[in-house]
Amino acid sequence: MSPREEIVFVVDDDARVREAIGELLESLGWRAETFAAASDYVASARPDLPACLILDVELPDINGLEFQAQLSHDVHPPIVFITGHGDIPSSVRAIKLGAVDFLTKPFSDADLMAAVQAAIALDREQRSERAELGALRQRYLDLTPREREVLPLVISGLLNKQAAAELGISEVTLQIHRRNVMQKMAAASLADLVRIAERLDIPITHSRRAGGVERERA
Amino acid sequence: MIAVPPQQRFEDAAAPSIDIGVHEKAVAALRDRERELSQLVDMVPSHVWRLKPDGEPTFFNKRMVDFLGLDVPDLSRPGMTRLAAMIEAAVHPDEAAAFADVLSRSIATGEPFSMRYRLRRADGVYRWMSSRAEAMRDQDGGIVQWYGLCHDIDDQMQADEALRQSREQLQETIDAVPIRIWSATSTGGPVYFNKRYRDYLRSVVARPEDLVEPRIDKLLQELVHPEDAPGVMRSLQDTSETGRGGVMRFRWREGDGVYRWAECRVEPRRDQGGTVVQWYGVSLDIEDEVQAQESLRDRERELSQLVDMVPIYLWRLTPDGEPNFANKRLIDFLGPGIIDANKPGTRRLAAFIEAAVHPDDAAGFGRALNRCFVTGESFSMKYRMRRADGVYRWMEGSAEPMRDQGGRIVQWYGLCRDINDQLHAEEALRGRERELSLLVDMIPSNLWRLTPDGETTLANKHMADFLGMDLADKRQLEVVFDTIFHPDDVAEVGDVLGRCLVTGDRFSMKYRLRRADGVYRWMSGRAEPMRDESGRIVQWFGLCHDIDDQVHAEEALRRASDQLARATQAASLAELSASIAHEVNQPLAAVVANSHACHRWLSADPPNIERAKITAERITRDANAAADVVSQIRALFRRTPHARVPEDVNRLIGEVCRLMADEIMAKDVRIKTTLESDLSSVALDRIQVQQVLVNLIRNGIEAMDGVVDGARALQIGSFRDGSDAIRVEVRDAGTGFNDAERVFEPFFTTKPHGMGMGLAICRSIVESHGGRLWTANNESHGATVAFTLPLTAREAS
Repeated sequence: MSPREEIVFVVDDDARVREAIGELLESLGWRAETFAAASDYVASARPDLPACLILDVELPDINGLEFQAQLSHDVHPPIVFITGHGDIPSSVRAIKLGAVDFLTKPFSDADLMAAVQAAIALDREQRSERAELGALRQRYLDLTPREREVLPLVISGLLNKQAAAELGISEVTLQIHRRNVMQKMAAASLADLVRIAERLDIPITHSRRAGGVERERA
Repeated sequence: MIAVPPQQRFEDAAAPSIDIGVHEKAVAALRDRERELSQLVDMVPSHVWRLKPDGEPTFFNKRMVDFLGLDVPDLSRPGMTRLAAMIEAAVHPDEAAAFADVLSRSIATGEPFSMRYRLRRADGVYRWMSSRAEAMRDQDGGIVQWYGLCHDIDDQMQADEALRQSREQLQETIDAVPIRIWSATSTGGPVYFNKRYRDYLRSVVARPEDLVEPRIDKLLQELVHPEDAPGVMRSLQDTSETGRGGVMRFRWREGDGVYRWAECRVEPRRDQGGTVVQWYGVSLDIEDEVQAQESLRDRERELSQLVDMVPIYLWRLTPDGEPNFANKRLIDFLGPGIIDANKPGTRRLAAFIEAAVHPDDAAGFGRALNRCFVTGESFSMKYRMRRADGVYRWMEGSAEPMRDQGGRIVQWYGLCRDINDQLHAEEALRGRERELSLLVDMIPSNLWRLTPDGETTLANKHMADFLGMDLADKRQLEVVFDTIFHPDDVAEVGDVLGRCLVTGDRFSMKYRLRRADGVYRWMSGRAEPMRDESGRIVQWFGLCHDIDDQVHAEEALRRASDQLARATQAASLAELSASIAHEVNQPLAAVVANSHACHRWLSADPPNIERAKITAERITRDANAAADVVSQIRALFRRTPHARVPEDVNRLIGEVCRLMADEIMAKDVRIKTTLESDLSSVALDRIQVQQVLVNLIRNGIEAMDGVVDGARALQIGSFRDGSDAIRVEVRDAGTGFNDAERVFEPFFTTKPHGMGMGLAICRSIVESHGGRLWTANNESHGATVAFTLPLTAREAS
């Protein structure tokens, strides 16, 4: 069985446990990398593959839950916690913070496999999401400054006339900018553009009102 | 005076009477002439007498007869010559013999007679006479008659005598007066010196012969002090040029070479035409006067200096209060122009008060002074006075009037003393005293003082409040110790305190005191003696503070501690089981994971036998580890020694290090072993001691987690500890223990995930071997855990 293009990281201070989990993961067909401490994991150069992080709650340098909180500021593989004596409050907390599973030692190979599979599937999803968003962001960055001004006005639903007045340009010029924005952002329709803008967290800054244009007081 | 002797003329007149021719006429004329002559002889205002050549008187003129009251015939006395009778009757007895002698000699020799003597007048009064007699001779030279003349010189003699006496007196006076007198001619030529002066000169001038005709200038040169000589010379010149008198003061040399001050006054005597005839001078010794003046001046200067230098301010006022003197110090203090300030329309005193006295004190100062002026009472007051720099300083001023004999006030003399520093010092002292007193009163303890006999002399407010005692009542203080102690304590306190008072030992004991409300509270009392220089006890100072709460708290603590001990026993069981679960669970988790893996390797297609084998071995290993833990725990709880076999501790240390090599490597820890060679073997439970070593090494490694790479060094040493034990030390370079003793409590842990059983178990294992285990922080950093194992294994009881 050739290893899949996936990787599982294991952080556990007990060498025997670390060794055994590594062994089990490999017998299940995953490539495994083990670390005795969270700092070792952080310091290591990890391959950019769909991954899962198996984290012992009782680490020598840092509590696993705290380590999870630290990692949450950044992109990281989904976490599966393992613990010698699990208690409900800490498992709840871990799941709330996005952990995929919370396994109590000793655990069965099926539980481990399910957890790791779920985690890696989640990671794949997150990775493609990130990739798509990255493409959109790149497209947005390709817009000219003026087009970046036009975009929020358009998605706010302003009429061309209103948007042109807002920017102090002619309606014709605005229409050219608008067309360019649609093309560059690869938006098939205005609705599509609105969705893209939403994903990019571009705020709707104006609302169309009868009798004129008024800047929203954000 | 009669220039020609009468007998001479008599003789001349007698000579032509030899002519007989014109006898009658001639006789008549002769008679007339003779009568005339006789009349003349009688009228001459002198005594005229005649003696025979043998000295017998033959004639006395009328004036002489009248004077003597005798005539020649009256001298005819039986048995004596007329001459002798005359001498006896008329010549003063004192001169009688001399008269007789001189006359006799003249008669014998024919020499003229001349003598002064006293002659008895008819009334018995002797009067001085000047008498002369000459012989009249015949042609052969034979003496015919003696003619004598004697005239009364008594008045003249008397005058001469008076003059002589007067001169003598004057001379005596001049010589006797204690001044030197001199005179000189108008040209300053030869001088006269009185005796005193001469004596002086003789004693001073080297060659007295110079004094025969001394020159003033020469004398000056020799006698006057060189410093004064030019001045004296000038004065003298000036005097002689102007002809006016003068006064000079100068020093001159005395016989003993010492210079003395003299005053010389010179006055000219002028003739009727006003020309200076003579200079007169007196020289007075004024040395004593000068000295007196000098010393007076010195004294005056000294006094003035004293007045200025005394570190006090002095002033003087007129009777109506005008300042008219201030010593230098006061002037310096006030600055210029204050004391003698003149302000139009204001009295000087008022101006002074306004300028120098603090506005708050000025009114009182003025009032007090004015009252004194009116009543004549002494003035005394404290006030602030302005210094030249504008700073007011406290002064203590006083003044007294000086009265004349009539009791009238002549002056006011005042002084003022700067008491600013003193006041501040006193104030500070008072403040300190107040503070100390406050401190003594406010200190939250009872303070008291005893005499060496044990009599209470002081209690602070806190104590008085506590005991409900009135501090003002001295009697209460004296009996205070009699009533305040708890009945159960009073005897012992009395004994102990009594003994301390005798021996001088420090008193220290706990006892109960009755509070004002009747509640007894525990006190910790102490007292120490204060001794004088000779070591004699002067006072006892005591302190007792309320420890009632503390005593109760200690009791409560003891109770709580007992409860805790019981609770701990109960709790430790549950906690221990959790700890055991953890220790066993880890190898079990590994076993389970490995067995799943093993199963997977075997189930794979094709089966991975190699990996399956490896995992199976691991399963065995980990399962054994779990079993070991269980058996150790059982051993611990059974407290029964396993098979104790003699072991080499160094070898055991080496084994453990090898066992833990993996962990040590992973943590990048350097292990340094210092093992004493030839250590005797110790009978021990191998597994247990191994467990202890593993635990200590792991603790050490974990303690150094926060330490930078490279500094993580663990020293393991073995030593002989005395003659009967071996000591093993594990020294880390970590953070050390915060509380080295608490680490042995079960479940005490410094590690976030530790169960806190490690060191407690280790200690219990070591103690079961009869050894000791302890921890200590290192001097620099980190901690050391050490244990001993006795060479002769002793069973722990």
